[in-house]
Amino acid sequence: MLVTRYSAVAHRTAALLGAGDEAEDAVQEAFVKAFRFLSGFRRDAAFKPWLLRIVANETHDLTRSRGRRADLVLRIGVEPETRAPDDPEGVAIAGDRRTRLLDAVRALPERERQAVVCRYFLQLSEAETAEVLGWPLGTVKSRTFRGLGKLRKEVGHELS
Amino acid sequence: MNSPDDLESELRALGEALAVPEPQPSDVAHTVRARLEALRGGSGVAEPSGDADRRDGARPGDVLPGDTRRGSSGPGRRSRRRPRWRWVGAGVAVVVAVLAGLTPQGQAAVGHILRFAGIEVHIGEQPGPLPSGVPSPLPGERRVTLDEAHRMVKFPFSVPTALGEPDDVRVGDGGRVVSLFWPGLRLDAYHGLLRPAWRKDLGGPFPEQVVVGTSEGWWISSPHQVTYLPSDGGERVMPRRAEPTLIWQRGLTGYRLEGAADVAEARRLAESVR
Repeated sequence: MLVTRYSAVAHRTAALLGAGDEAEDAVQEAFVKAFRFLSGFRRDAAFKPWLLRIVANETHDLTRSRGRRADLVLRIGVEPETRAPDDPEGVAIAGDRRTRLLDAVRALPERERQAVVCRYFLQLSEAETAEVLGWPLGTVKSRTFRGLGKLRKEVGHELS
Repeated sequence: MNSPDDLESELRALGEALAVPEPQPSDVAHTVRARLEALRGGSGVAEPSGDADRRDGARPGDVLPGDTRRGSSGPGRRSRRRPRWRWVGAGVAVVVAVLAGLTPQGQAAVGHILRFAGIEVHIGEQPGPLPSGVPSPLPGERRVTLDEAHRMVKFPFSVPTALGEPDDVRVGDGGRVVSLFWPGLRLDAYHGLLRPAWRKDLGGPFPEQVVVGTSEGWWISSPHQVTYLPSDGGERVMPRRAEPTLIWQRGLTGYRLEGAADVAEARRLAESVR
């Protein structure tokens, strides 16, 4: 069933776009809508970005109805393994840098953050991002570019 | 080493390291299916087969906010298969849960709960024959005038203009419920959207989703059992038999209209509550 196949990526999308602990609600609603409106789905189009767009809309709706910005409440679950295990200091530094990078992503203006989240956290292509967020391709490019620029300014000089 | 590629790959790695809670896909599938079945029972929803008639030019934009939107429901129509039922805001919530788990035995005896406007409807669980006899009053129920009722209850309510002055007005449970009576008809208005005020048990069919004015309502077409759930969580009022009932809400006030001849009549009366 489609739900089982796309459940994980849908939850990930909702959470990373700011649904927080209401990601489940957003995803469930998105699946219900997706099935109800499957007739509006073009056979030649890819299902995943179409579904994720509904997820994104639901998330947007949900956060808007809460009357606040879609805050990114996330924690880093897996410690990076960029250093050898016998180098605890190096691991700590790498972990700290990730935390700072995540903070910097959080601090981006909402649209630039959405672009960065889709392109890198969800690893969608530019075209998929455009479809999911409902933006023209050029807008995806420019917002990603601006977002990356800010991130680089924020943490870039610390990247080694 | 501050090339764009470094930052981009760093971001990808960070994304992979982020912990996102993901419920069991089978649980999600189950809940989604239950909700679709509930919808299909009421409003003729397209089958999720993917073979439905496809309209050219239809795009994901068709499912944008403001379009297929809940003309009816607020932010709170979500459901989840969990004990903690969360009501987002105080809006309308329609919650359909599949009981009895995922086992084949459980599915055979599956029941649905529809939660809407302070009412819990349990479908498929009618416990034996419907109660008969004189219904017991609500806790602290008092006979009052309409003016007194407006002063005593904690919420705004209106009388259907199509019915005019009620023959009898009662306020119960410390002003949580006002009941208006006309021959053969009973209208309960209540303040109880966050905590269920009523439980209904019926064998079926699944309630029909209808539109009342601009909002959502549910029509229960057959006699069923209704139980009042007191606000203090105290002892339940004895269940009684209820005639076909329309439930809906206006603002934060829930309404249940009992005894209309059919759904059209019920809607006509309900829409005259202004």
